[in-house]
Amino acid sequence: MSALSSVKSLRLLRFPTRLRVRRPWRLAAEASALLIAAVVAFPLYWMVLSAFKPAGEIESTEARPWTLTPSLDSFRRVFGQQEFGRYFVNSLLVAVTVVIVSALIAFLAATAVTRFRFRFRTTLLIMFLIAQMVPIEALTIPLFFLMRDFGQLNTLGSLILPHIAFSLPFAIWMLRGFVKAVPEALEEAAYIDGASRARFLWQILFPLVFPGLVATSVFSFISTWNDFLFAKSFIISDTSQSTLPMALLVFYNPDKPDWGGVMAASTVMTIPVLVFFVLVQRRLVSGLGGAVKD
Amino acid sequence: MKRMTEGVTEGASPVAPPLPAASPPGGVTASPGRVAGGPGPGGAAPGRKSRRGRAGWAPWIYLAPALVVIGGLLVYPVYQLGLISFLEYTQAQVSGGEPTTFQGFGNYATLFGDEQFWQVLLATVVFAAACVVATLAVGCALAVLLTRVRALPRLALMLAALGAWATPAITGSTVWLFLFDPDFGPVNRMLGLGDHSWTYGRYSAFALVLLEVVWCSFPFVMVTVYAGIRAVPGEVLEAAALDGASQWRIWRSVLAPMLRPILVVVTIQSVIWDFKVFTQIYVMTNGGGIAGQNLVLNVYAYQKAFASSQYSLGSAIGVVMLLILLAVTLVYLRLLRRQGEEL
Amino acid sequence: MKFPVRLPAGFPARRSARTAAPVAALVVAALTATACAPQTSDNAGGADDKSGTLRVWLFQEVSNGPKEKVVESTVDAFEKAHEGTQVEVEYIPVETRAQRIKAAFNDPKSAPDLMEYGNTDTAGYVNDGGLADVTEEFTDWNEAKDTDPTAKQSVTVDGKIYGAPYFVGVRALYYRTDVFKELDLEVPRTQSELISTAKEIRQAKPELYGLAVGGAFTYGAMPFVWSNGGEIAEGKAGSYAATIDSAAAQKGIEAYTSLFGDDNCPAAKCASMGGNDTITAFASGKAGMAIGGDFNHQAVEAGSVKGKYAVVPLPGLKAGEIAPAFAGGNNIGVLKSTSHRTLAVDLMKQLASKKTQGELFDAMGFLPTYSDVRADVAKKEPFVAPFVETLGAGTKFVPASPAWAEIDASLVLPTMFQEIVSGKKNVATASKDAATKMNAAFSSAG
Repeated sequence: MSALSSVKSLRLLRFPTRLRVRRPWRLAAEASALLIAAVVAFPLYWMVLSAFKPAGEIESTEARPWTLTPSLDSFRRVFGQQEFGRYFVNSLLVAVTVVIVSALIAFLAATAVTRFRFRFRTTLLIMFLIAQMVPIEALTIPLFFLMRDFGQLNTLGSLILPHIAFSLPFAIWMLRGFVKAVPEALEEAAYIDGASRARFLWQILFPLVFPGLVATSVFSFISTWNDFLFAKSFIISDTSQSTLPMALLVFYNPDKPDWGGVMAASTVMTIPVLVFFVLVQRRLVSGLGGAVKD
Repeated sequence: MKRMTEGVTEGASPVAPPLPAASPPGGVTASPGRVAGGPGPGGAAPGRKSRRGRAGWAPWIYLAPALVVIGGLLVYPVYQLGLISFLEYTQAQVSGGEPTTFQGFGNYATLFGDEQFWQVLLATVVFAAACVVATLAVGCALAVLLTRVRALPRLALMLAALGAWATPAITGSTVWLFLFDPDFGPVNRMLGLGDHSWTYGRYSAFALVLLEVVWCSFPFVMVTVYAGIRAVPGEVLEAAALDGASQWRIWRSVLAPMLRPILVVVTIQSVIWDFKVFTQIYVMTNGGGIAGQNLVLNVYAYQKAFASSQYSLGSAIGVVMLLILLAVTLVYLRLLRRQGEEL
Repeated sequence: MKFPVRLPAGFPARRSARTAAPVAALVVAALTATACAPQTSDNAGGADDKSGTLRVWLFQEVSNGPKEKVVESTVDAFEKAHEGTQVEVEYIPVETRAQRIKAAFNDPKSAPDLMEYGNTDTAGYVNDGGLADVTEEFTDWNEAKDTDPTAKQSVTVDGKIYGAPYFVGVRALYYRTDVFKELDLEVPRTQSELISTAKEIRQAKPELYGLAVGGAFTYGAMPFVWSNGGEIAEGKAGSYAATIDSAAAQKGIEAYTSLFGDDNCPAAKCASMGGNDTITAFASGKAGMAIGGDFNHQAVEAGSVKGKYAVVPLPGLKAGEIAPAFAGGNNIGVLKSTSHRTLAVDLMKQLASKKTQGELFDAMGFLPTYSDVRADVAKKEPFVAPFVETLGAGTKFVPASPAWAEIDASLVLPTMFQEIVSGKKNVATASKDAATKMNAAFSSAG
């Protein structure tokens, strides 16, 4: 079997499963799916709605699910913040860097723990699992000093590095399945065809595992994008290095919270993630599916 | 040990076993292939000898970047966390105002001597377990539902779920609190509950937080399990359906076993995430509920320790949480292994 | 303590030097980059450069524009007066101030020279070794003579002064003029009238809370304790003892918690409310009265009760008395780690001067900390009159102990009120438990 035909047969197997379901049942199922979708989306709708409500109407005893006088004031307060655009770019920069770097590192590590047998392999795997359990809040203090001693405080690096570290264990754990799903015969064949290890890794294995990489990237992207903890702990004196969640926190003033601002800022923050999701949706599903393929 | 390390990738043999003939070999853990009579544990798999046995330096080179990052930014801070938990370490020590002193197990003694700690621990375990079960049930049920509907409803549900997933936890909690507000929320109005307060009773407050936690974490389970079901060969399901098996039966006897690897992943992840829940409790119950009735460990640690800079006590709680999670996971992995599965 | 990798039984326990070595090498490489013991930092400060860049942190308010303008003009004047000096002002979100300020104490390189801080944090920051003692400069400062006593107390720890008061915030009684007129009610003049009026409103209009109260609204509850002669704690820094369980304090707690019930503010809803929730209820027309601050004015104006309310000082025990209010507000302090001490103290005086505080009031509505300036603004803006009156009648402050931050963060007082309100404990037990917790904190904080 040549490497090529193996790849092909692998693709063929990714065909979706379609079940034949009887009509009335399907209609009932579809109706409930739509209903559930509406329920699940309702809090989101309420968030966007509150962002458009004028001040004073958000907390009114008439909890109307619409507003007659939509207002952009809340959004103006969000975008009117010092260097809002800068925060957005910073957030994007941090999230994209974390996604790419952690995906590459995790790919290599996942390859190592699935394609090789060596001592401490299982120990390492368990360590990767344990690493996800550390309560992050508790680690900010030691991390703070680490960042300080590396001179990374107040730089985007202080956000990127810990996020890579925290994304890696989960990414490796998830990616293992994808790497494993690539038949070993393929690897043998590639070597017989004279491919080097590097060539096999990047030109054959990598594209095959790519959907899995996309799926795991979703996790690192979301956790990085939505992170408050590191941003407020490590970016101390240089607000030009701040990220979007900081622009949201401004509105949580303990004495006089600005709920319109909170909702508008959250809407602005959620949209890029949704766009990212929609872009990768198909790959996400086919990708995650790869993790179970047997 | 030989059995364990050697017998793992068995499923990866290119010779496909009968049942999952249509699916590519190789699996996260035990493949149904093995169940169906593929090369079992210890079975000498053909064509696999060579590099596997003596990997030499190669895997370590591949692992190097990951180990450097994780070692430096996770393992080392965890080591420090442990160290701090044995010291007297408050802001005064951090800013160099006072010298650090070794306390031995003093911080742990303080912690274990506090009656509230045990209450909070119990509440955390029960609450996390309820969240995990609810999240898995909802996620799996909706995943099955997704396979039963046409593209449009599927897209709608998928998008709504992804939206819930994408929302920052702090916002999600705030919005849910708005929705259930006795005076300003639409939910009481719709259900005709008047001005019933959801956050007053201990259990109703926990229930409300549970709803929010399920709302923001079921999408992960749903999407992952849905992806898993789609990867199951259609013939298998059709055969089962033709045999007249009920939905529940199909799930129990066909899907669940085949999806086991993925269910393991989502279960472990849910346990880890729900045990560490912080934002939802903190925001929705206003820092732990009326008279602290809704405290969970992470919030308790925050209030006891980080908000008032008692870092050593906070570290001790962190270490305790880590040990509990560790124990749960190891027990789980042990059970898996006993059933002949491997990492 | 070792990293807790516990291998489950059945795992290979033998380690081969050949494979262990690389791991060890990698990990060690990462470790040796830093010292192994937990860190401390050196906050000594030292130099006193007479030129260079001064960094200032101020809190970012929700509508920050007007504040920035005031600060900018002050800073411009300062830069003109001090050749070769630049001032960089950064606005930090109130919500994250705790992390940032602690971080600044831990990393002097990131620390500003001057910062705004909440006045309840003074003792904690002093204990952390973060703030510089400016007693001498403050005493010599001409304008400081007019600083009102409570404001001065809020920058004082153990007789030493650690900054200049920037503005104060204080709460008074908001009430619905239309409701009072309709029900033919008098504005309450004593605490017992306040409670009975609240219940009358609720009885006549069951859709309203009589007086909106909150179990987590410590600073709304304390005036009841203080007016009954109770205190949170007594003593001096270093030797505080909780007195929240004293007979007088218990009377106040009793009075406040009697407001939770179906005849005023049902416990099921009000037990969990904080200060902001009570004001929200009032602003949206859900309450006949509420205890709110001058800083809540905007929110009430934006609500549905605009034009239908008035404010008076919160009544005390006897007619004509004003219940002592909690004096909140912010201060500006110089950091111990600054290398521009003289300049920083100078800028502190400029930012907290009578002139700047007057401008800040015009821009943001923040009440000045000088008695005379405050009297002036009360004439200009009648709305603030009841608040100024409250301040003039004497205000109270939280114990100037570093333990306060811990007591506050671990919600000792809200827990106490909530325990009583929800019927879990009676006043005596709950206040005694709270006192025990506070004393533990006082003694551990030294």
